[in-house]
Order: sequence, then C-alpha cells, then structure tokens
Amino acid sequence: MRVTVDVKGEETREIDLESVSVSGATADGEPTPTYQDLLREVDLSPHEVSVLVDGRPVPEDQPVESDHVTVLRLIKGG
Amino acid sequence: MTGSDPELVVPTAIRDRILERAREGAPEEICGIFGGDFESEGQSRVRSQYPAENVAETPRTRYRIDPEEQLAVFERLEDRGEEIVGFYHSHPRGPPRPSATDEAQATWPDRSYLIVSLDPLEVGSWRWREDDERFERERIVPE
Repeated sequence: MRVTVDVKGEETREIDLESVSVSGATADGEPTPTYQDLLREVDLSPHEVSVLVDGRPVPEDQPVESDHVTVLRLIKGG
Repeated sequence: MTGSDPELVVPTAIRDRILERAREGAPEEICGIFGGDFESEGQSRVRSQYPAENVAETPRTRYRIDPEEQLAVFERLEDRGEEIVGFYHSHPRGPPRPSATDEAQATWPDRSYLIVSLDPLEVGSWRWREDDERFERERIVPE
C-alpha cells in the first residue's frame, strides 16, 4: 500500500508501506509498520508531532491502516 | 546563514487584538495561530490571526493547542490562500522572551513565535532555528 503523508507546513510525501522498516514486536505473519515507523521515514518523532487520520489523532504505536495520514508538528510551550 | 534578517509584519489591529486577549486571559496564557505569507528567511507577513484554546494542563505556565483544532485552523487558512506564518502566546508574568520550556518544546522550523509579555509589557517575536536549536530574534514591523 502506498501512503500519502501530509506533513502540514511542509511537502506531502508518498511512502511505500512495504519499504518501511518495522521496529517493534511483530505478530504472526507479515509485520505491519506502525505510525511511529512511518514517522521515522519522514525524520520526525512522536515527541514533536501528532498523527491524524480522518481528522482524528491516532496512537503512534498502532499499525498503519490508512492510505492518507496527516502529521502535525505540536504547538506548545511555556 | 544567508539572506536578510528575519522580520514579521504585523498589522496594528491584530497586535492590539492579541494584547487584548492576553489581558482578558490572564492569569492564564492565551495562544493562537498566524496565517499570511511565510518566508523562512527575510520577511513574513501576518494577514490573519486565529485564536485557539489553551488546552495545557497548567495553563498559567504552559500553552498547548489541541491537534484537532490546529488542523481545523490550518484548513481555514489554506482555504483563504494563506500560509502558516507562525504562532503567538502570552507570558502573563514574563519573561519578555522565549522561556526554557518554549525552547525545549519548539517544533516548527523557521516559523515565527510571537510572545506577548504582560509584566513587563512587551511584544517580541522569534524564529525557531531547528538546526541550531535556538530562537533567533526578529524585528516586528507594524503595519
């Protein structure tokens, strides 16, 4: 599956899910990359962004199930 | 570093509105997003400001914009042909510059982070330079 990763404020990237390296434990059968694995492909970490699918945040440790992902750099401070 | 020194053009009406929000919101911090014309070096121009709710757990000393609200604002400003210029927040009790927390949690390279300090009363703006991991002061140009 090809995943469109829309990093807001930057360019949109197309990533071939089969080419994403999987870091965590894998279930039986084919390993499935997580959103965190996808973030690594665009040089971002869960500490600095939120991942949204259909406008809703998704946990970064979940397997990628959508072909369109929005990535938002966090806006916060003190 | 190449190009000219960074600047942020801020319409006076927008500056006044943000100051008003900061005063009304005290003792908690207020925050929001700037839309307009973005240049990573040189001059960015604010055309609109979009207030956002501060959803930080300790809003007197922290600010955070909810990602869903952030996305909604980005979609509004993109629909108007604007770019993401930067962000603003208040420091009800100072300092009139980025705090250590601001530096630790900045994530938007080259965007403007405008800070309204109420005590002392001062408005300043900085660009986050990710490679250097520091804020670079920029000039605010009133319009």
